[in-house]
Amino acid sequence: MATQKNRLKSGGRIDRNKPLTFFYNGQPYQGFQGDTLASALIANGVDVIGRSFKYGRPRGIMSAGADEPNAIMQLGATEATQIPNVRATQQELYQGLHCRSTSGWPSVDFDAMGLIGQFFGRMLPPGFYYKTFMFPESFWELYEKFIRKAAGFGRSPRENDPDIYDHMNQHTEVLVVGAGPAGLSAALSAARAGARVILADENAEFGGSLLSSRELIDGDPAHLWVKKAVEELAQNDNVLLLPRSTVNGYHDHNFVTIHERLADHISDKAPEGKARQRMHRVRAKWVVLATGAHERPLVFANNDIPGCMLASAVSTYIRQYGVIPGNNLVLMTSNDYAYRTAFDWQDTGRKVIAIVDSRQNPTGQYVEEAKNRGIKVMTGSAVIQAEGGKRVNGAMIAPISADGDRVTGDGTVLSCDTIASSGGWSPVVHLSCHTGSRPVWRGDIHGFVPGETVQQQLIAGAVSGSYSLSECLKEGLDIGLLAATNAGHATDSLNVTVPKVEELVEGERMAMFYVPHSKPTSRAPKQFVDYQNDVTAAGIELATREGFESIEHVKRYTAMGFGTDQGKMGNINGMAITAKSLNKTIPETGTTVFRPNYTPVTFGAIAGRHCRDLFDPKRYTAMHEWHVENGAKFEDVGQWKRPWYYPKPGETMQDALNRECRATRESVGILDASTLGKIDIQGKDAREFISRVYTNAWAKLAVGKCRYGLMCGEDGMVFDDGVTSCLGENHFLMTTTSGGAARVLEWLELYHQTEWPELEVYMTSVTDHWATMSIAGPNSRKLLAELTDDIDLDKDNFKFMDWRQGTVAGVPARVFRISFTGELSFEINVPAHYGMHVWKKLFEHGAKYNLTPYGTETMHVLRAEKGFIIAGQDTDGSVHPYDLGMSWCVSENKPFSFIGKRGMKREDCVKENRKQLVGLKPKDPSKVIPEGSQAVDNPNQPIPMTMLGHVTSSYYSACLGHGIAMGMIRNGHNRMGDTVYYPQADGSVIEAEICSPIFLDPKGERQNV
Amino acid sequence: MSEVLEPTKNEEALIAVMDQNPVQPMPTESPMHHLKLGARSQGSNVPTVYAGELGLKGHLVIRGDADNSDFRKGVEVALGLGLTDTLQSAESDSLSISWLAPDEWLVICPLDEAFAVETALRNSLKGHYSVVNVSGGQTVVRLTGANAVNVLKKSSPYDFHETHFPVGKVVTTLFGKTQAVIRRKDKETWDLVIRRSFADYAWRWLEDAASEYGFQVADNLA
Repeated sequence: MATQKNRLKSGGRIDRNKPLTFFYNGQPYQGFQGDTLASALIANGVDVIGRSFKYGRPRGIMSAGADEPNAIMQLGATEATQIPNVRATQQELYQGLHCRSTSGWPSVDFDAMGLIGQFFGRMLPPGFYYKTFMFPESFWELYEKFIRKAAGFGRSPRENDPDIYDHMNQHTEVLVVGAGPAGLSAALSAARAGARVILADENAEFGGSLLSSRELIDGDPAHLWVKKAVEELAQNDNVLLLPRSTVNGYHDHNFVTIHERLADHISDKAPEGKARQRMHRVRAKWVVLATGAHERPLVFANNDIPGCMLASAVSTYIRQYGVIPGNNLVLMTSNDYAYRTAFDWQDTGRKVIAIVDSRQNPTGQYVEEAKNRGIKVMTGSAVIQAEGGKRVNGAMIAPISADGDRVTGDGTVLSCDTIASSGGWSPVVHLSCHTGSRPVWRGDIHGFVPGETVQQQLIAGAVSGSYSLSECLKEGLDIGLLAATNAGHATDSLNVTVPKVEELVEGERMAMFYVPHSKPTSRAPKQFVDYQNDVTAAGIELATREGFESIEHVKRYTAMGFGTDQGKMGNINGMAITAKSLNKTIPETGTTVFRPNYTPVTFGAIAGRHCRDLFDPKRYTAMHEWHVENGAKFEDVGQWKRPWYYPKPGETMQDALNRECRATRESVGILDASTLGKIDIQGKDAREFISRVYTNAWAKLAVGKCRYGLMCGEDGMVFDDGVTSCLGENHFLMTTTSGGAARVLEWLELYHQTEWPELEVYMTSVTDHWATMSIAGPNSRKLLAELTDDIDLDKDNFKFMDWRQGTVAGVPARVFRISFTGELSFEINVPAHYGMHVWKKLFEHGAKYNLTPYGTETMHVLRAEKGFIIAGQDTDGSVHPYDLGMSWCVSENKPFSFIGKRGMKREDCVKENRKQLVGLKPKDPSKVIPEGSQAVDNPNQPIPMTMLGHVTSSYYSACLGHGIAMGMIRNGHNRMGDTVYYPQADGSVIEAEICSPIFLDPKGERQNV
Repeated sequence: MSEVLEPTKNEEALIAVMDQNPVQPMPTESPMHHLKLGARSQGSNVPTVYAGELGLKGHLVIRGDADNSDFRKGVEVALGLGLTDTLQSAESDSLSISWLAPDEWLVICPLDEAFAVETALRNSLKGHYSVVNVSGGQTVVRLTGANAVNVLKKSSPYDFHETHFPVGKVVTTLFGKTQAVIRRKDKETWDLVIRRSFADYAWRWLEDAASEYGFQVADNLA
């Protein structure tokens, strides 16, 4: 096992008593509790952690946070636990962690792509996407395979993820994003004011920059202040602390999505029963962004050789993790603050070769301190080029002009293994931009800060351009109080003291992004801007030369910022280079837009628990268990699980349907019809209301009677149907289709509340209250008679389309003599908690009649034999009652209008030659025309053929011994007896005769016995 | 379907009132009967969430005009509890009333008293109102324990914090992908009214959401 050659003897926030073994590309390494994967790799001296996308160049760790472009790992010890897109800089180390580099083929250390990088690089100039991938289109598939293999950044698992993920809804008055000095302060003051506060931070430990800070707060190391602050917050019941929680999306109306990693730091798989990650869906009254700032590297030649790093990252590794990424440091900076990296380095006992300062004459306490420490400071100079292969071995330093535009003298090479650079800081404006707010440039800090927003949003600390620790603390406290005040808390009496900070005073910063080279940009070694997409300064210049002037176009042309890191590290440098190349200012050039998510999010966290069995509710009737026990196959109807058919051992589906159909027509069958929508309607205007929403007449329906009704939209098209019964003069029970129940109730409420509030009527859903079982067939009366003694079942006293109240199997029931099969039929309704009892009693008594349960498929066949429509199957929203041949169901003479009356009289609705519903009888009795088939008059017509309409319902009728179908045919009602043809995909043609859709018992005698 | 009959003019038959209690007790199954809650395995954790079904209750939906003082008085006389204001509930020893909508309330009582309560309401109410027995169509899940609120936070976008959701408040809101009428009975106890057909889903969702906190089925929560 490799030794931790870069591990410091002391210091950092790691626990040296807890060594952890991990595996990188199959090799074991050791780190400590408290390490990130990145800090552990650095401790072990692993320089190359990937290869670049286009050129195959070796790449190393650049940063210590979310801005890392290179160290993108594939995690997972098993196939099922594979996770792509993990930033090593944010992944906490745990015992047994397995990770692999994701770029570089066949390996990071021997990269075949690197050898042909020159060739490949020419193949992929900027704009390659547009120039080549897009045209000719067919070439894309060819390129894609090659590019996908060469590029990388991981893959998804091929097995089911064993972990669970969930969601949690949160409400808060103040959401503070980021727990650095400003965020902690804001949370403290808002909480002290009594506000409900959520504080979220992407890291394991709160504190942000304070965890690696050199400054003292109130005389103590900063991390002690952090400890006290977190303790105070933790004790407050109104504060929710969310560490390891990345605020990834800021949406409209202060809706914020946070992804909390609950178990990613523990093991490959979350502990049993625990969620691995949780998405918090937060509704915040006020959002305080304290997201800090990302350091910008300087753009110089060969700036991607491993060993080139951000200055602040070097400090973080030293001070927070107790690792040092090299032996000999050259620091290049345009500002004072980065000097501390040289001090941190020197404090470990390793050598600082030089501080290379781009400013001609820097002054300030940091510079003084460097000189006092005996560090060589080279002013008016820059590292124009890094030397080395898989690791930096030297820095070429040259004098530059005061404006930083040109090299003014010869370069000299200083030997070193690490080049840290700092071009200043960029406020993390991403979340603010998510809501559509455009960032604004501030020349004094050389950075974009959040612009105007319509959200209830405040900003504090470095994101607002306030970089010094004392400013961050003060601003945080002030903004936290303001947020609490805005949320309605009295804060006048609160006495907030800003902690005292001992810090060095900074001198003026220089606006420096791109370091000039002695050669022109296009001739100099590559100067990388966006590492993840291999975008160089030369590439950006090429883009502007080719006429791409908008920053959005430059982005798409070069792919700058397209990566999984969204260009956090390189974007501002790229914009500065674009601006310079266009001879514009940075604010004139503008920025691209950031969108959610801030960092990649696993699909699991997005899905939460809405997966597998809980993906969608399954609705069950009161008799569901019986269906399961009796071998039913189920069909989804809306969310309902309805019995589809009940196959017996050895039966095919068609066998089962034939048996169920025959048993019903010959003796008695039973259907669980509980899913039908049922609406109880009461009020003195109930009858009038029903008359207005149905197309047919209701004025004369007597108490004790039932009637079929058609419901149309304003456009006159059928959208639901069902039987409505008059329970009392002011009381009706409406039934709807199973899938349409909720929509119909909403429709009724809408019309009542908005159009006819003067009608005295109330609707209440009773769908779930009544268990409904329909017994149908010539023996249904005999069967029912055995279970009731208080309902007169005599055919003249209890007629077809009557209903009666009574007792069935000892349970109070309403029995409706209605039929969807054309048979003598009774629909028994009992309160659902008695449903199973009554159902079983029916079977106890039904055995002698061969009582046969049937499902939706047999129901469909039986009703199609009778030509009964199913709204939603035989209608599709473009069919009015006349199209269906149901003019008997439209009452033109109702005193008040009805919904759809006017719609169905529109010009198009009354024209000739509309498609009309007809019956279709295949000439070959064994044929069943596939549903959806299109009818034509001439099967030999060349394609495109003239289509007459489609088949809406089609079955094999065992009772009739041939196939039957219903379908739309142009002018079909006037074409009875004609032959139409249904060409099939396989080239065959099915011939059918147009006929009445009523195939069985046209006079309706069977249901009237 | 074209028969023409004269409507009956029987004043007694304005509303088909129905005593839905059998004369002799008959076997019943609550909406969660099939889940066999009593036999469900319990996690190894110390439970901090308990839930059980309070099935087979009487559920009556009352609709009427809240601004009509006769209606308000009539309900109070019949129930001994008045209509509650927006998002509010009230309870007595044997029944509770919950606001559902501006003109809609839910009364929950023992199942075998549902007809008596309905009759009392009909006897004391006049004019335009409706009472509908929906007892078979819904059930109550009682959820309690220190982490019960977290189960709700996982299940619903509503704000359950006690400043926003004090004891006695009631809302109809999302629960997973179904809906529930959620009433805060006391600091840590919540009653969820769930529709029968969604009961299986709602229970499985709840059990799943509660499992990380240590969950136990409790049948003595009434």
